[in-house]
Amino acid sequence: MTLDFEGRAIAVRPGQSLAAALTEAGVLDLRDTRRGPGGRGLYCGMGACQDCVMVVDGVPNTRACMTKAVSGQQVMRQPHPAPLPQRTTGTRPLALEDLPEETPELLVVGGGAGGLAAALAARRAGVEVLLVDERGIPGGQYYKQAMPGLAPMDAQQSEGAALLAACREAGVRILDGTEVWGAFAPLLFLATRHGQTLRLRPRAAVLATGAQERALPFPGWTLPGVMTTGAAQTLWRSYRTLPGRRVLVAGNGPLNLQVALELAAGGAQVVAVAEASSGLRPLALARMLRAAPKLAAKGLGMLVTLRRHGIPLRRGRLLRSVTRTADGALLAELDDGTRHTVDAVLCGYGFQPETALLRAIGATHAMQDGLLRPQRDAQMQTSMEGLYAVGDGCGLGGAPAALAEGEIAGLAAARALGRSAPSDAPVRASLVRHRAFQDALWQVFRAPFPGLVLAQPETLVCRCEEVTLAQIDAAIAAGPGDIGEVKRRTRCGMGRCQGRYCAPLLAARMGVDDSFAPRVPARPVRISDLLGS
Amino acid sequence: MTDIAVIGGGIVGMCLARELAMAGRDVTLLDSGHHAGTTANAGSLHVQMQSRFLRMYPELVPNLEASLPLYPEAARRWRLLAEDLGADIELRQSGGLMVCETAEHYEFLAQKCRREQALGLQVEMLDRAALRRVAPYLGDAVHGAELCAEEGKLNPLLANEALRRDLQARGVPYHIGHRIARIEAVREALLLHGTDGSVIRAGRVVLAAGAGSGALAGSLGAPLPTVAEPLHMNITEATAPLILHLVQHAERMITLKQLAAGQVVIGGGWPARFAGPQDFPTVEAASLVGNLSLAQHIVPPIGGLRLLRSWAGVNTTADGQCILGPLPQEPRVHVAVPGDAGYTLGPLVASMAAALLLGRDPGFATDRFTPARFSRAASG
Ligand SMILES: Cc1cc2nc3c(=O)[nH]c(=O)nc-3n(C[C@H](O)[C@H](O)[C@H](O)COP(=O)(O)OP(=O)(O)OC[C@H]3O[C@@H](n4cnc5c(N)ncnc54)[C@H](O)[C@@H]3O)c2cc1C
Ligand SMILES: Cc1cc2nc3c(=O)[nH]c(=O)nc-3n(C[C@H](O)[C@H](O)[C@H](O)COP(=O)(O)OP(=O)(O)OC[C@H]3O[C@@H](n4cnc5c(N)ncnc54)[C@H](O)[C@@H]3O)c2cc1C
Ligand code: FES
Repeated sequence: MTLDFEGRAIAVRPGQSLAAALTEAGVLDLRDTRRGPGGRGLYCGMGACQDCVMVVDGVPNTRACMTKAVSGQQVMRQPHPAPLPQRTTGTRPLALEDLPEETPELLVVGGGAGGLAAALAARRAGVEVLLVDERGIPGGQYYKQAMPGLAPMDAQQSEGAALLAACREAGVRILDGTEVWGAFAPLLFLATRHGQTLRLRPRAAVLATGAQERALPFPGWTLPGVMTTGAAQTLWRSYRTLPGRRVLVAGNGPLNLQVALELAAGGAQVVAVAEASSGLRPLALARMLRAAPKLAAKGLGMLVTLRRHGIPLRRGRLLRSVTRTADGALLAELDDGTRHTVDAVLCGYGFQPETALLRAIGATHAMQDGLLRPQRDAQMQTSMEGLYAVGDGCGLGGAPAALAEGEIAGLAAARALGRSAPSDAPVRASLVRHRAFQDALWQVFRAPFPGLVLAQPETLVCRCEEVTLAQIDAAIAAGPGDIGEVKRRTRCGMGRCQGRYCAPLLAARMGVDDSFAPRVPARPVRISDLLGS
Repeated sequence: MTDIAVIGGGIVGMCLARELAMAGRDVTLLDSGHHAGTTANAGSLHVQMQSRFLRMYPELVPNLEASLPLYPEAARRWRLLAEDLGADIELRQSGGLMVCETAEHYEFLAQKCRREQALGLQVEMLDRAALRRVAPYLGDAVHGAELCAEEGKLNPLLANEALRRDLQARGVPYHIGHRIARIEAVREALLLHGTDGSVIRAGRVVLAAGAGSGALAGSLGAPLPTVAEPLHMNITEATAPLILHLVQHAERMITLKQLAAGQVVIGGGWPARFAGPQDFPTVEAASLVGNLSLAQHIVPPIGGLRLLRSWAGVNTTADGQCILGPLPQEPRVHVAVPGDAGYTLGPLVASMAAALLLGRDPGFATDRFTPARFSRAASG
């Protein structure tokens, strides 16, 4: 089985993503940008950043990370600007009411830990539940499922598979490959599935859309081969594809350690893990052990394994820059001056909640540590009646907390829909423990978010519209104006990722607790998909 | 204390403050800092009359024809302004097509075209074959079109920013985030009461506050029926040069064009709504679907593009015509609110308003634009 990449045959394994197949073949550079060729590759690996868009079977702006590799596919790097296929016949104009409609009692958006738990709890209480997830197989980031034909890699994957199976068995309807991009008050959602747009009109909804890694600009952060830790994790856990032979991991938090070990076990040479926090805090460690001894022990075990693999852990270290060498490798420099020649640099500097749908529909948010989070009551209900939000989409809490929040919301929704549901007291108690563990965990890994500290004047802050730090500073200095005004002056935030990655950076630079105005679509949507043509 | 206070820093207010500053006047610009048509608009330079309006409201034809000469001049003023500002605002007068889908509508357009020719516009009819040659991107559904050579487009983000910088360079005081709650007329001055409790004294005031103008005139007892109308807009990701013209539909709500950077901007007046405690203009699903499905119907390749963003902006409507000149109730207060296609008209309307304020010749007869028309209507 092969696909055709610009005349070259590239092997594909069934179920693999296009990004994985190309990475495996050493193709990292996927498209040009306005600035010219030699542009971009995989970055987020989860459909959010839009940096991996290619021309697939003649259709430009197709995300390699979210598209299945198929035998016989014609794939091309995307030039800038990308020409469109010729077409002389349009579809007859449509009205909203012409779109197929689903009216479940409860809609769950996102099939990660939070969404699955919410769906299961509500379904078991007798609610008719529809769960939609954008990926080929739901599971989200923690349970990240492997492509068909691969056995679960570990307990993390098999527990996810079991939860998915439990949902199906209980009668939760699951639509995979369904991306929700529109949210309108009171409770209307628009989603695209296989080139067809659906109208989802539930009586209640749980949004469990998870998180993304935060953007950390440093010189070279847009080079192909520099990607988020999560992107590399998906390549490996879902598709058994290594991001490269030699890998440097840099960031903050336990995910980086976990992924470094997974890749090392998979045969990658992990040259180092640079961890931003500087040392183990004994007190925090003790608290973590008390809150969840098993998880804490697992964490300590990771450190031991790291040593066994001979992977140096550089504490208190940040990336300084990444450049491309003449032979195509990446040369990464840490702020201790050490240099590492690698094929891939993985960055994981914390997470930001995915709030686009919640903001678009009008739920109230509050700024916390420079990131917007939806406001919720104890039932996980947002400021809007019947609209619940759970999991990492409300601030990173980890999978056990997402499970607990999901269950609480599922039970609350069931009650609101007139069902009698069991008490949520036990799960509430567990949520308190999970949160205590997370707090202690992040005390152990405590480090300030570097923000724009590493960026040079010529470093891009807005990847999509290619706006540099110097341009942003000039626009801020050009006169008074809010974040929207600076956006209009620079185009920072006007690109394909819709400001997800640059908004917190710009707000911090301006010293404001603000973000860009919420807009539909939450993800770019192809106009022909809107019409089902 | 300022000699002239301009309330509203949209396209009209900015151009007006600039003209007054160039005339050596002491002028201050005040803007509440949100919901401007100017910061949300599509940047189409409209010149020809809307065929749909002519059919729907035949009684308005005299008004529309009377205002028509303003539009080619307004487009010319934009060109001069761009040169004057020395900024690339991506202004292109590459022509505007008003397309239709049936022979009957084509005939109606042809009649309109003849009237417009008689009134001095550069317009011509293109049948299907001729249209294929000039606009191969149009779909099979399009039967023919009227082409207006003076129409075109510009990038409002660049134009607004160039103007702001120009005002800054001229040292015009520009207070953003300053909302005027009401105007009080005393003998020696006008007192502008801010919502923050502040008071600014001005010798004269121009209401260039778009939809906010009516309430301010109302505080002086003058009827001015400006209505805030939230409208839907869409923008796609960039593609290679495809659509040369400003494209409109003779019978349906749509305008679309491609910006210099390649994105396609799609609008045309689909409704949005005000939502939330702050009355934030918010898009509606029905407008999004309706507007975009129409776009790919007339320009089919657009179907292959992804919608990046939609937004809602606040347009100002009154009776479709400009409102220019002093309030009869308080002649120290002038009004400068543009008629339909207010961004196109902005620079011209500003310079007419400046002329009226300074006692100069505005270049066009302005009687029919006087705010007094609403007082007459109100008194019966
Ligand atoms: C990149 C990444 C990697 C992680 N890896 C680990 C790990 O290895 N170990 C660990 O302990 N924790 C990990 N975490 C944290 C952990 O995954 C989370 O705490 C847990 O998965 C949270 O569950 P959730 O349901 O809130 O979100 P997620 O598991 O992220 O699930 C959200 C789901 O919603 C879907 N979705 C989002 N938006 C839409 C939309 N608009 N339409 C349709 N579907 C949508 C997503 O595709 C996803 O399937 C990771 C987090 C991230 C962001
Ligand atoms: C979505 C959309 C698309 C459009 N597309 C086009 C187009 O393509 N071509 C075209 O020609 N026209 C277009 N228009 C119309 C055009 O944008 C407006 O007519 C034009 O911008 C009006 O300019 P203005 O300066 O009169 O008012 P505005 O731009 O609305 O500015 C008025 C200003 O006054 C301020 N203000 C109001 N009340 C107060 C107060 N009490 N105190 C202080 N400040 C106050 C407001 O904050 C605002 O900044 C469009 C409009 C919309 C909404
Ligand atoms: S890498 Fe594909 S969308 Fe981010």
